[in-house]
Amino acid sequence: MADKEATVYIIDVGKSMGQKDQGRESTNLEWSMQYVWDKITTTVATGRKTAGVGVLGLRTDETDNMMGEEEGYEHISIFQPIQQTMMSDLKYLRDTIKPSKTRKGDALSALIVATQMIVLHCKRLKYIRKIVLVTDGLGQMDDDDAAPITGKIKEECIELLILGVDFDDAEFGFKEENKDPVKKANEKVLQEICEECDGTFATMALAIKERVGVPEVKKTRPVNSYKGLLTLGNPEKYDTAMCIDIERYPKVMVASAPTASSHVQGSGSAIPGPSAQSSATIQDGKESHQNGLVAVRNARTYVVDDPDAPGGKRDVEIEETEKGFAYGGTVVPVSTSDMDVINLETIATMDIIGFVDGGLYEPYMSMSKSNLIIARKADDKAAMALSSLIHAMFERETYAVARFVPKDKKAPVLLLLAPCIDTDNGLEYLVDVELPFAEDVRHYVFPPLDRVVTVGRKKLIQHRNLPSEGLLQAMSDYVDAMDISTFGEDDEGNPTEYARMEEAFSPKLHRINQALKFRAVNETDEVPPPWESIIRYSNPPTKLLEQAQAAIDDVIRTSDIKKVPPKQKGRKRGRVIDKPLSGLDVDELLGREKRAKISDENAIPEFKQLLATIEEMDEVKKAMDQMGAIVRQFIERSVGDSGYNRALEMMRVMKEEMTDFEFPDLYNEFVRDLKRKILKGELGQGRDEMWYKIRTTRLGLIDSKTSDVSDVTPEEAFEFSKQKL
Amino acid sequence: MDDSPYNKASGDEEEEEELVDETGYKTTKDAVIFAIDVSKSMLQKPPATDADDKKTDSDSDSATHAALKCAYQLMQQRIISNPNDMMGILLFGTQRDRFMDDKYNPYPHCYVLTELEIPDAQNVKKLRDLVNDEEEAGKLLQPCEGGVKMASVLFCANQIFTTKASNFASRRLFLVTDNDDPHRGEKALASTAAVRAKDLYDLGVVIELFPISKPDHEFDRTIFYDDIVYRNTLNTDENAPAPLTSAAKPSKSGSGISLFQSLLSNINSHISPRRALFSVPLELSPGIRIGVKGYILFKREEIRKSCNVWMGGEKPQIAVGSTTRMADDTARTVEKVEIKKAFKFGGDTVSFGEEELKRIKYFGDPVIRVIGFKDRKLLPAWANYKHSTLIYPSETDFVGSTRVFSALWQKMRKAKKFALVWFIPRRNATPVLAAAIPGEEKYGDDGEQVSPPGLWIVNLPFADDIRQVPETTMVPATDELVDAARMFMQQVMLPKSVYNPKNYPNPALQWFYRVLQAMALEEDLPETPEDKTLPRYRQIDKRAGSYVTDWGTTLESSYQAYITEHGHRSTTTTSLKKRPAATADGDATTKKIKTEVDGVGEEEMRERFENGTVEKLTLPVLKEFLGAKKIPVGGKKKDLVDRVVGYFASK
Repeated sequence: MADKEATVYIIDVGKSMGQKDQGRESTNLEWSMQYVWDKITTTVATGRKTAGVGVLGLRTDETDNMMGEEEGYEHISIFQPIQQTMMSDLKYLRDTIKPSKTRKGDALSALIVATQMIVLHCKRLKYIRKIVLVTDGLGQMDDDDAAPITGKIKEECIELLILGVDFDDAEFGFKEENKDPVKKANEKVLQEICEECDGTFATMALAIKERVGVPEVKKTRPVNSYKGLLTLGNPEKYDTAMCIDIERYPKVMVASAPTASSHVQGSGSAIPGPSAQSSATIQDGKESHQNGLVAVRNARTYVVDDPDAPGGKRDVEIEETEKGFAYGGTVVPVSTSDMDVINLETIATMDIIGFVDGGLYEPYMSMSKSNLIIARKADDKAAMALSSLIHAMFERETYAVARFVPKDKKAPVLLLLAPCIDTDNGLEYLVDVELPFAEDVRHYVFPPLDRVVTVGRKKLIQHRNLPSEGLLQAMSDYVDAMDISTFGEDDEGNPTEYARMEEAFSPKLHRINQALKFRAVNETDEVPPPWESIIRYSNPPTKLLEQAQAAIDDVIRTSDIKKVPPKQKGRKRGRVIDKPLSGLDVDELLGREKRAKISDENAIPEFKQLLATIEEMDEVKKAMDQMGAIVRQFIERSVGDSGYNRALEMMRVMKEEMTDFEFPDLYNEFVRDLKRKILKGELGQGRDEMWYKIRTTRLGLIDSKTSDVSDVTPEEAFEFSKQKL
Repeated sequence: MDDSPYNKASGDEEEEEELVDETGYKTTKDAVIFAIDVSKSMLQKPPATDADDKKTDSDSDSATHAALKCAYQLMQQRIISNPNDMMGILLFGTQRDRFMDDKYNPYPHCYVLTELEIPDAQNVKKLRDLVNDEEEAGKLLQPCEGGVKMASVLFCANQIFTTKASNFASRRLFLVTDNDDPHRGEKALASTAAVRAKDLYDLGVVIELFPISKPDHEFDRTIFYDDIVYRNTLNTDENAPAPLTSAAKPSKSGSGISLFQSLLSNINSHISPRRALFSVPLELSPGIRIGVKGYILFKREEIRKSCNVWMGGEKPQIAVGSTTRMADDTARTVEKVEIKKAFKFGGDTVSFGEEELKRIKYFGDPVIRVIGFKDRKLLPAWANYKHSTLIYPSETDFVGSTRVFSALWQKMRKAKKFALVWFIPRRNATPVLAAAIPGEEKYGDDGEQVSPPGLWIVNLPFADDIRQVPETTMVPATDELVDAARMFMQQVMLPKSVYNPKNYPNPALQWFYRVLQAMALEEDLPETPEDKTLPRYRQIDKRAGSYVTDWGTTLESSYQAYITEHGHRSTTTTSLKKRPAATADGDATTKKIKTEVDGVGEEEMRERFENGTVEKLTLPVLKEFLGAKKIPVGGKKKDLVDRVVGYFASK
């Protein structure tokens, strides 16, 4: 995997680092540490044992380094030897890196100590070696013998980066006025050293601007998912088959964000309330649980129905069961030997079925992550063969469809193979994505968007659902004005595509990383808002909107969009009576029949139809009473849970209707009474299960969130649903 | 200990979010009753035509028979695709009566063929017997005299739904009939039926009519059925279209399309109740928002996971698992409220408060926000990582959404643009960047919609998701070679030069359920799988064979010219593995027109088996040999040698 790393950060903590310069709100040290913390926590986040970080303090009050009492090495302290940095180390560093009371300490000596740290740690092994010096350049330096230092740094292949607080940088456009002469001289010396050993020398502000809050994209080593032949025709049966040795690698693979696992307060410490919101860093997997959090483990148990067992269920051990599958309502046990039969026998292959017109392919058919296909490595003939196929496909805008079995015995999938020629980077390959099978397509039908077909089969071209000429024109102007195909700028300032995929960072991944990195070094403050770099494409660029404003206004004017007020969204919009396609007034037919009494077999329709004819509160109440009686009857007469679902459905309709009618009290009264009756056993013994179902299907009280006129608060409703009598 | 939705085992964050994604969509359970008319005309076989010799079985089906065949097919299909949904079959107009659970039947001439339930193997068998055994079918399919009252049929369905699927969110009655005037103008009967239809409507049952026209009579909905069928405004989907595809599909003998096929495709387009996955505003700019809903039209249908079957009872039963969470130190059971989420970081963990974590992950309310428009050609084929979603306008939140969406869709199609959008599908979902691509509305041969209009949302990868291309050497093909490749390519274009998923059922899935069905019915297992994804080798050979051979020859000469110029790479690359003996010339095997079996033939291998020198062969040679015998070629060399030995030993 990735190479081993050893990085030493030299942090200047001299007294002057405690100042606040250039109108900044934080001290020079705090300001500079933004950069350092960002770098160190990024390393910590990788969790790599081989990514060592050392921290060396410059201009410290004490002296603590391997040079002992040797002259010239005073006020240099090793805060942390090169090692994998842990949370506890971060905490220690955070407490330790504070401005000192001294001005003494030689940056060049610190470079020597840092080099020595690396030499001792890395020996002659393969490492990426790096020293980062952060200083304000106000310490005294003895620059007589810079040559051996640069010599050693070069000899050890150490990459040197010097970042200075308010160092001058013409290119970046910064110059400190009234610069201290010592600093001026030091800047010059440090810059020379940097140049001497091909290092980088920059002002701190630049580093913070360019590095802090800019996510790093993690590179993953490509691992192939198939290595074998790409064929056209059957080489086993025909001597006219095409075979090319290829390898297949992932092209797109969603980078996963860090995930949180479940923990719980361990025994021996108080359990905090569920609303505990304080952040804390906690030890994991170590003997001592600082905050007493332990991991949560899952244990699985299995039950089957058994009418003889109490509660109708009995536990079974997993060892007592066999593997099997459900075929609809039938359970089919399948023995191990039959497992081989039930899975389709296949042999690894990538076999072209035929070619299709790339211009006619609809990208929305693609089902999966994409992969890329290249010729077998170090096989020039295969590379040439594949190249001819890629070019032939590219020229004709032709794609291939192939049957793909990644490994023997795996289920086949169909792939679309498309040619990809990247002339800039001198790459050519095929990309593949999975295609849907017949079973994967859902046949939903949607009405046309450019015409309206009425029930009477008449085609309309003017309709409220169709755009006017004016709207079509305004929309056309809007789309043109909002074009970003060439809105961006490349490094040379030439127009290029805006918001390329390669420039957009995964918000989830980097937001969580940002929060973790922040929390690792700051336990108390609120996590700052997302970095600009990760939400850059959450809105159209302001400049684009400005240039499109006229078109946008036209769309607004010609479209006449009206927001539906939340109130009207309810089902009973102005109490429109639903009619069949013919428009027949069924209620009139019903009226002749007069259904005043609700029958239990056809309760829901009759209840609804009854409500449709009445307005008076007491009549509604009577209807509710009838329904309530039927619900109770179904519960009471239920054998086991046989009647529960019907009762629940009736309750759902009652709740809905009373919400629409704005008589929440009628329902609430009913459900309060029902709860009491159920839990008291008035509707038969062991009906608690029914209450549980009412709770889980959310058929408790109508609260004020659901209905404005309800006097039940959501909290009350919640309490009511869970509370026992 | 219970397995209620409140106490579900939850893995990490990621998993939870994914679950929300799919479950909200799938848990809406669906119950369908197929009501099939059994009348004299429905039982009439189509008259013989001139094209007699071309007739297939299905051409001679009576309408009832075709409908039963549809039901049979759909039942098997639903077992695969909707394993939790119910289906029942009700015959009406029969002489015999049967009500559910063999109770007393108050509804004359209604016959419950299969109960409304999750279909099991017995239901499938019953239906299959009826479809395949004409004699058996003849006994049952006896039309009654004087016809059936539609009110009875509707109320019978009402009672079945009320009892068997009382709280299913989606309940539908599929009516298959050729009789557009069941009550021959008797007003009172028609009125009662209309009242019963209203009952069903109020109950939340949707009636879908699948009318069949007779050769001499076009089905006329206005006579009776327009009083029975309501615009589908129920459930969550307020803007379902007018019954657009339920147009009568007259069966014209000899028209090429059998009644069965047209009925099946008609019903198929209604079989999955359309449900929106999300409903969000589409923001064209800060001042313009319209309402859209998202639908999944492509979703990989997988073989279900195996379950644990307990055989100790009367019949096999699934052992239902539930998860209890325990603290790692004391193994005490843990309540959900106690659980804290913590991230691993620097060898320790970092935790956030629940509210705090919500704030961190919050990127705004659900929205599809247009960032700008780009040329279609700026969207590479590889920019994909999951199935797409269709968005279609909805007037629920914004009146005028449809016309604005229509204008946008028309312009984007014309200008060949896609929109780059910032997309948050649900509350608390993390945002993605996606391409919104206008989709053409397309119709199939039978006039059914095969591709709906709308915008397709394709999630795009971020920089973090795009992998590097591994290092390779480019070996450019000569123009001559490219031309040769093009020649054979053009010979093997798929029909109409497009990929049509309809032609390719998933072979592993179909095989799995065929075997499982046989096991469930305790029948003989099928012998050979049907695999329509296998290339048509004979055709490829016939059409493209000579061109591929030409290409092979050109490749050989181009490559020789290339190595004369650049030299063998295998000699310059030191880290290369030694080439296998059979390919000692360094290039002959890697890429070639296969002649015979490469390397070692059966004879030679047998010899080696007998004198014990099989293992002297190289891995590729062994693989080649095993592959030709359809023996797995995976594993280490030793395994391959064992397999070769095993192959001869068993002979």
